[in-house]
Amino acid sequence: MDKIVAQYSRPSHQNEFYSEQEQQDLTETLPPLSLKFALPPVANPSAFLRAMTDDHSNPSCPIKLAHGTTTLAFRFQGGIIVCTDSRATAGNWIASQTVKKVIPVSRLSRGEDKPSNEPTPGLLGTMAGGAADCQYWLRYLSQQCTLHEIRHKRRITVAAASKILANLTYSYKGYGLSMGTMLAGVRTTASFLPSNQVGLELTSTAFIGNPQEGPALYYIDSDGTRLPGNLFCVGSGQTFAYGVLDANYRYDLTEEEALALGRRAILAAMHRDAYSGGFINLYHVKEEGWVHHGFDDMNPIFWKTKLESGEFSNVTSEL
Amino acid sequence: MPGFDFSNYNRNAALHARGVPLPKATSTGTTIVGCIYDNGVVIAADTRATSGPIVADKNCEKLHYIAPKIWCAGAGTAADTEFTTALISSNVELHSLSTGRDPRVITCMTMLKQHLFRYQGHIGAYLVVAGVDPTGVGLYTVHAHGSTDKLPYVTMGSGSLAAMSVFESMWQPDLNKEGAIALCSEAIKAGIFNDLGSGSNVDVCVIEKDKPTQLLRNYEKPNERGEKERNYRFPRGTTAWLNQKVISKEDMKKYVTIETLSGDDNLAAGEKMEVDV
Amino acid sequence: MTSLMDHQARETVGYSFSESTAGVKQHGFYPYTDNGGSTLGITGSDFAILAGDTRSTSGYNINSRMVPKVFKIGGDDETGEGANIILSVVGFAADGTALKERLDTVVKMYKYQHGKPMSVSACAQRLSTILYQKRFFPYYVHAILAGLDEEGKGALYSYDPVGSYEREQCRAAGAAASLIMPFLDNQVNFKNQYIPGSGEGHALVAKKPEPLPLETVKGLVRDAFTSAVERHIEVGDNLQMVIITKAGIEEVYHPLKKD
Repeated sequence: MDKIVAQYSRPSHQNEFYSEQEQQDLTETLPPLSLKFALPPVANPSAFLRAMTDDHSNPSCPIKLAHGTTTLAFRFQGGIIVCTDSRATAGNWIASQTVKKVIPVSRLSRGEDKPSNEPTPGLLGTMAGGAADCQYWLRYLSQQCTLHEIRHKRRITVAAASKILANLTYSYKGYGLSMGTMLAGVRTTASFLPSNQVGLELTSTAFIGNPQEGPALYYIDSDGTRLPGNLFCVGSGQTFAYGVLDANYRYDLTEEEALALGRRAILAAMHRDAYSGGFINLYHVKEEGWVHHGFDDMNPIFWKTKLESGEFSNVTSEL
Repeated sequence: MPGFDFSNYNRNAALHARGVPLPKATSTGTTIVGCIYDNGVVIAADTRATSGPIVADKNCEKLHYIAPKIWCAGAGTAADTEFTTALISSNVELHSLSTGRDPRVITCMTMLKQHLFRYQGHIGAYLVVAGVDPTGVGLYTVHAHGSTDKLPYVTMGSGSLAAMSVFESMWQPDLNKEGAIALCSEAIKAGIFNDLGSGSNVDVCVIEKDKPTQLLRNYEKPNERGEKERNYRFPRGTTAWLNQKVISKEDMKKYVTIETLSGDDNLAAGEKMEVDV
Repeated sequence: MTSLMDHQARETVGYSFSESTAGVKQHGFYPYTDNGGSTLGITGSDFAILAGDTRSTSGYNINSRMVPKVFKIGGDDETGEGANIILSVVGFAADGTALKERLDTVVKMYKYQHGKPMSVSACAQRLSTILYQKRFFPYYVHAILAGLDEEGKGALYSYDPVGSYEREQCRAAGAAASLIMPFLDNQVNFKNQYIPGSGEGHALVAKKPEPLPLETVKGLVRDAFTSAVERHIEVGDNLQMVIITKAGIEEVYHPLKKD
């Protein structure tokens, strides 16, 4: 009987008002840096989340999250090419055709998409899997990188940045995050910021880690994987992109060739993968920083490729 | 073998078990009602057909002919109500021919319930059967599992509660024809406005002793679409095309017979379609 | 259906609390309801419009014919006077209200603490983090945020339930999004429209999107909703349109079909 009473009684007005913590959350303007997430009041939150949001295992799930992608990045003699499509899907629904899947990381050195060809220093992250997961955690990484720059008066290495993200995803393993991201950047001795940019006097130049990291590329995913490498394709259209990339990739590609190859590999994936499409977003990371090489509608590019080089000959307009 | 073809049953059950969803049947999430009066019976229905939350047909016909003086209003799966009533209509006519008598409403109702019971509710037809026969006025409901009811006023479908609230507050035992039509129409409108599965117009059918049956198609239209604000005609050449092929009438004649109709619209065969401009 | 067979199988009267809950499979925690309805937003060079129908449904029932889905955020009083940001939420109404209240509080606190109103871009990012705070127990809503940016241009941000967001020209959300969005793609961004006579075959030039005037956009919004009402059962009753310009926020209602 006591058990039953204990089970079915609780202090009166227990959940009547906002707790002190909740009140503080409401009155605090800045989002908390400490990572607290609301969890559903059930025994197994991740199973609940899966039932509500995973349209792969449950096509009629009520909450459809934005998914689907092809992204690629590869290292070559002139730096790193990063290229993505721009489609976001929620189930069978194309939620957007204009997603920016390349996200500049590190706020101090981040510029908005400038039309000029002037390189912007800093890292680039790519977005595959859950759109919100990638956006949020790359924003979080950006914060951490900025703090690193302020604390240490030098830009963070790609290796260190990728490890922050990988440690993070590993700590949330099993919770149901979904992300496959690549971090690309070049760190050279030039990455030591001039002291006036940070506002503090640089007193000593102690070297930590490898100052000459050079062009570095890492793959990090929500399982906690972290891999350095020369060439990665991530997302539902990755196999199509790998097909083109593996056939034509060489380390000594010229800049022109490398940009064309990145674009061509994404085009192949957009053509064959229903969950990829929209616009081709192309970036080049070099020593001085990254350069944006366009956000272009795939359709004219497809027809131009087909008509000028005779590729995609299976597509005809014959009647 | 006559009747239903079950050859895909096992395949579909296996697919369904693996998570393939069933194709959506157009269902008439509906309001249908019926009401007797001093000299006959009135049935009425809304005209919305839905497929999930989408309106599949804004002006469908849910009042089905069975015999000249027996009509049926159908709710549930659209195809099931149509084919079931058509089948029973044929059987009722054959029965009437072989007996040499006018068909009775109770006969029709019995045939329907026996047919539906045999299929254990898998035929999703929910019907209101009404008519006048030598024994008098008949008004019944038939559920998909085979149960039936005989009442002076009835409602069925997803809007049945909204419609019944009108009957329960306004029905009287000594209604005349006009009163019965108005009451049924009011009940359907309650369904149209308060039930999302019902909508658009009111269809009414009046079956009276010693008079021809009247089908009052779109008796009321309380939901006419307003004018669009903007013009959506595209200039010629707006759509891109890659190739064209012109097929002459002479070439067409190799494959099909062509008959030319005169320019007069009234002579064109078939009912004119309603099109939004 | 009543079964006559399995009475002997039970030993005691089946009170649910006579069994220990430990080890019993938990099932049926379903805290969400879809309250239907639809919203849409379009921006122009110096304005932004958010619109939504005012019907609230559950299943085949209408809960209310007058539940607004567009809210003023960060106003001085309960009428929303003095606000410079608007938010529309569609999906589960309770989550929508909670989200709107939370964002409203945050924007107000910002103003009290900084002595200036929150910019739309800052509010947009804050809304994203609010949504993501519930990544593992999401708000079941599709939100659209609108206002004027630092240059005075119309700004519109759309969100998925867990906070991924993007600035766009136009967006439809909710039950009839799949009906309205293709219409908007064609009429606002001129997708699949080409300039007649501009070329043959592949040389044909696509029609370039440009900001539309306010009256045109109002017409498009009303047509989008009267058409959605025709074909979606969860949309109807009234159309709420909230227009934000540098002169302030204007709110208008139009009747829609009620069937």
